Amino acid sequence: MKHSVNPPPTPDKDVAEAFEKDELTLREIINIKLVESGEKENLMELVRDRLVECGWKDEMRIACRELVRKKGRKDVTVDELIRVITPKGRASVPDSVKEELLNRIQNFILSAAP
Amino acid sequence: MSARISFLKNPDPCSHLSDYKLRYGTDGYKSFQKLFRCFNGGRIKIKPQEIEIPRCSYCSVDHRRLYICLICRSISCSSHILSHTQSNKGHDIAIDVERSELYCCSCIDQVYDPEFDEVVVSKQLTGLGISVKSGADVVAVRSNKKRRLDSQLIIGSNFLVSPRDLREKWSFPLGLRGLNNLGSTCFMNAVLQALVHAPPLRNFWLSGQHDRDLCSRRAAGLLCLPCDLDVIFSAMFSGDRTPYSPAHLLHSWWQHSTHLATYEQQDSHEFFISLLDCIHENQGKSKCLYKDHEECQCITHRAFSGLLRSDVTCTTCGSTSTTYDPFIDISLTLDSAKGLSPADCRKNRNSGEPSVKPAMATLSGCLDFFTRSEKLGPDQKLNCQSCGEKRESSKQMSIRRLPLLLCLHVKRFEHSLTRKTSRKIDSYLQYPFRLNMSPYLSSSIIGKRFGNRIFAFDGEGEYDGSSSSSSSAEFEIFAVVTHSGMLASGHYVTYLRLKGLWYKCDDAWINEVEEEVVRGCECYMLFYAQERVIQKAHKELSYQVISMADAFPFADC
Repeated sequence: MKHSVNPPPTPDKDVAEAFEKDELTLREIINIKLVESGEKENLMELVRDRLVECGWKDEMRIACRELVRKKGRKDVTVDELIRVITPKGRASVPDSVKEELLNRIQNFILSAAP
Repeated sequence: MSARISFLKNPDPCSHLSDYKLRYGTDGYKSFQKLFRCFNGGRIKIKPQEIEIPRCSYCSVDHRRLYICLICRSISCSSHILSHTQSNKGHDIAIDVERSELYCCSCIDQVYDPEFDEVVVSKQLTGLGISVKSGADVVAVRSNKKRRLDSQLIIGSNFLVSPRDLREKWSFPLGLRGLNNLGSTCFMNAVLQALVHAPPLRNFWLSGQHDRDLCSRRAAGLLCLPCDLDVIFSAMFSGDRTPYSPAHLLHSWWQHSTHLATYEQQDSHEFFISLLDCIHENQGKSKCLYKDHEECQCITHRAFSGLLRSDVTCTTCGSTSTTYDPFIDISLTLDSAKGLSPADCRKNRNSGEPSVKPAMATLSGCLDFFTRSEKLGPDQKLNCQSCGEKRESSKQMSIRRLPLLLCLHVKRFEHSLTRKTSRKIDSYLQYPFRLNMSPYLSSSIIGKRFGNRIFAFDGEGEYDGSSSSSSSAEFEIFAVVTHSGMLASGHYVTYLRLKGLWYKCDDAWINEVEEEVVRGCECYMLFYAQERVIQKAHKELSYQVISMADAFPFADC
């Protein structure tokens, strides 16, 4: 058995706690609405396209390739790649992409609000 | 599944995946088929029917990477999948919910199985409104990206391979593979590319007529270039598209021709001649002995050897002495073809070729020059048999028998002995893709000289029916070796014609090029093959199945 998998650096304690208490956080509610309406899928497609357009994807690909080359092809796992690359990837998402995504979510909430 | 592209080599499955498949086969995959949901853009996700949003069964998180166990279908997030595997023995393999990719929880890594991909792809195609005939029709590919690309390709072309698709490397004809430059060895790569794609040679080696495992020379520890070429052919047609390094061939060739064993740039033509000589030496002897025939039966001579006729006529008495010499290639003088005489132009028009400006050098001009009647100078007086004295005479060359493969070498490198200098002639030479050699055959040349009088054809008649008939005098081009740059620091590149398309082979790089590029190049060696050879090869290459027995039947070469 190899080493255990490190958890990704996201705060999600509140979500888990809220679920246990059988009441949904605002974040949860929004997420469910997004999924139900199919908007989440659209947003994901949008982010994917934007990240390809701005070269973020290529950047990540290069970073991954370098890491694999350094460690050796045989001694690298997908999980390890994710662990190392994720912090870099999160940090290098352009602000314009974040802004656009935020606007889209805001618009969605406004339109979905009763 | 035999139709799967073999060079997309699948990585070996991990032991856990093999165990799973041994126990459950592919039924497990198929049971997931109805859980696959196709989203816009062809992305396949897993959506358990009873729940709207998949959550981790341990911490009920819904936004991390989630995996669904192939055996119990419980969903776990990336942090808890390990504990799921530990608490349930044998539950190693799971599917990534977002991506529909296999994941081995014990290896903590992505794993690949073409049969799983096949299930996903067939779902993807039905999701996009395309009916799938059977699972085996779908070429299984590994990554999600490839799956998307493939489905788009199939939609766009209604299951036909689109012309654009031909530009993809992996759909290049089999046998196209780059050759690495081992330090100024482009002269070798250029010739090897041309030879590997010469149909008779390809058929000879790929049908195992010189097998390196059965070779007696090799077994005796002797050098054997045909064996080394066998290795090259195996490598070129292996389906692997990564550039190949023909290092052992270079090494053997060095040992054969020690005077050329340097890291310096060599002459492609010299290498070609030397390589064919080596093949003849290694391979020819054994076969020559028992064949009671004047012609050598080695592959070099069967493919490239033709017969030249040279007539020396005494200008005083008019008697002619004729000699025949075998040839492997014809070297053509470039400079002299520039100023075509009016007679030459007329000849061009008569033979049906487009009339050319006298300034432009053409291949037919060069061949006319090669077969012209040439007056030997006063210092070259020959002993005339009928006069019994040394007389001035004229000499004329013609081709008595055409080879299967015609190699025309353009003399671009001029070495002047008196001035002790060398220079390169880089002027343009126009050459046709289809070449009719009948005007240069002995029968035509002699006929032109004497008129159609029967006595003049001493011994030519027997060839009239077979080799000089118009059908076998038609040649088609299949490779051009070009030289660009300076005399000492030039670069050799080969253009290959396969299935009517041109490919540029520049050491390790291969790409498709337009016809105009090839027409405009600075040709150095031209490789023509008899029309029927090319047509036959074309038919052979168009087989879809990449099985050796089907694609390369034994051929007479």
